[in-house]
Amino acid sequence: MFNHILLASHGTEGAQAAEYVAISNCVSGGKLIHLLIVPELWQGMTGDDWLNNGHTRDDFCRYLETELGKEVDGHCERIRRTANLHQLNYAKEIILGEPDKVLVQYSTTQAFDSIVIGSPRPKDVAGLRSRLLTENVMRSLKIPLIITPYPL
Amino acid sequence: MLAIWYFTSNGLLAPVLEHLGAGKDYRYTSELKAIPLYFGIVATVLGVWHWLGQHKEGGFDFYSSSIAGGMFILLITMLVRWFIAPEIAVLSIGLGEVGDTGKHIHELLGLNYVVLGIVAGIIIVNVFKVPVWAKNGVRLSRLGLKTGVILLGALYSAAELKNLGGLSIIMIGFFVLGSVGIVLWIGARRNIPNSMGGVLSAGMGVCGVSATVAVAPVVQAKPVEIAYTIGTILIWGVACMFLFPIIGNLLNMSYVQFGAWAGTGILNSAQVAGAALAYQPDGIETLMVAEIFNITRVLILPIIVLWLAMWYVKREGNATTQVNVGHVVLAKFPVFVLGFILMFALSTTGVFAPANHYQGKYFGNTVEQGFKLENLLQAEQIAILKADANKIQNADYREAYNRLIKNNKIMSIADDTVVRGLINAKTLSPDANKILASAHQSVRHTAKKIDNFRQWITWLFAFGLVGLGMQITVGSMKQAGGEPAIIGGVVGFIKAALSLVVVMLLVSETV
Repeated sequence: MFNHILLASHGTEGAQAAEYVAISNCVSGGKLIHLLIVPELWQGMTGDDWLNNGHTRDDFCRYLETELGKEVDGHCERIRRTANLHQLNYAKEIILGEPDKVLVQYSTTQAFDSIVIGSPRPKDVAGLRSRLLTENVMRSLKIPLIITPYPL
Repeated sequence: MLAIWYFTSNGLLAPVLEHLGAGKDYRYTSELKAIPLYFGIVATVLGVWHWLGQHKEGGFDFYSSSIAGGMFILLITMLVRWFIAPEIAVLSIGLGEVGDTGKHIHELLGLNYVVLGIVAGIIIVNVFKVPVWAKNGVRLSRLGLKTGVILLGALYSAAELKNLGGLSIIMIGFFVLGSVGIVLWIGARRNIPNSMGGVLSAGMGVCGVSATVAVAPVVQAKPVEIAYTIGTILIWGVACMFLFPIIGNLLNMSYVQFGAWAGTGILNSAQVAGAALAYQPDGIETLMVAEIFNITRVLILPIIVLWLAMWYVKREGNATTQVNVGHVVLAKFPVFVLGFILMFALSTTGVFAPANHYQGKYFGNTVEQGFKLENLLQAEQIAILKADANKIQNADYREAYNRLIKNNKIMSIADDTVVRGLINAKTLSPDANKILASAHQSVRHTAKKIDNFRQWITWLFAFGLVGLGMQITVGSMKQAGGEPAIIGGVVGFIKAALSLVVVMLLVSETV
């Protein structure tokens, strides 16, 4: 059991398995820090559009930001509720960036006992392509990393 | 920029330019001696001000900060146009022609400064990253493209606009409505969510990423659905930008045919302009055709947004979207099209060139009109023409041909039209055809203002497309997948193939 866990999760089914493992392996009263990385790819979602006027593009950006915000809020709230049930101290950190780099950098900001993440999505399962588990992560982390299998 | 200007002016770049000229005169010398100086001064002054000046949040600082990014794009455009693209051409020429195509690799692949500029933009954003100080200005590329389209308005004749407009409305109308309908139909069969079907149909049917951006909020698309759609469209668009010019070259398509095909078959509007300039880097006739199709697409976009909004509300039943027709049409209306129309209207008044000019070119066979006496046909050229005279069957054509032989130059606009027809028909020997082409060129003169316009338009599009390249991230392209990739692939292929058949069968070589 750990006292201070960094959970990197962004709500996919594999990440939800990681949430379960993180919460189950944290001692009552322990700290669960939820790191949610919003991949930079979202910044490129207007792509090479040039025909639209600024109003249409602003509408789109606001809409996308709102929708992403709703997904993030729903996801954080779900983990917070479960963590509270297990009497854990839950805190969240939402960062925009490249997932693997952000994870490595954030892991040095506090004295974590371990980091819990989900396993890479099976190839036949649809989803966003944004890898958290890279060679860079495995080489650079200074604390134990738990990769949760999915399905459990 | 200032370094380019300095080294050119002092002759230090002479060996490089000679090498890039590949045995001929390096074609951009005059540009090198002026453009980098002017823009170099602007960039330096602004750079110094940004570096040393007192700054505070607000209007002027915000807008002026975008100029740095604009200068960054411009520098990349200059390097690609003046050095990288010519070097690729030199290497390609060194490898010799490809088979019996009569063309070199760079010509077949359309590897000119436009395509290489977009590729440079894509490499910069994905490998090196756009410098922080330039990020704000990368968006200026859209302004460049829109300004280019607006200026393009001055180059159309009324007849061209009518014919191209009619053709584009028929082609775009058929293929847009067709592909939107097919995507919705396939989507319903494969049970994809309505929001996914809606956003994908717009992207695949109308104008790629632009349509996706316009429609996504209306059909309440989820972020992952948007990512799938945009990824699929970007991959298709970039692939088409390379493939279309190759196919166009292999099929020997005319500028009008290629412009119409690219304007209809390429999903994404940015790559339509890219492919058109890739196909014809030294002229803008293909671009002029393709852009009419782009404009038709964007004008049709509000109608498609309305259609999909109503379709979505009807399908979802409990959707919270309220369709306000007036609001949708006004909010989505492309204002730059008004600029295009204004420039066209101004050009018809003769502000830029006399009204009887065709694409800014005019007929003149006297010295006062710009004809050079050294362009009079020589005796040996006349002999070649005489030898081919009996190949012309049509009596009127033969009369025009004989007038050319008798006077050593083309005598009227009507005769010039006949000569152009003979050149295109290729009924005479290649040597005779070359002489006719030379006779035609010597009586066609370009109005100075229009010539400047063409130069500016080329630069604006090159600038805009390099900047757009900097907005195509591998991260967003990698999201292509799932149902959208399958449906998009099927519909994109059908659209490209069918529009090619239609263009080859029904679109004539000239407008």
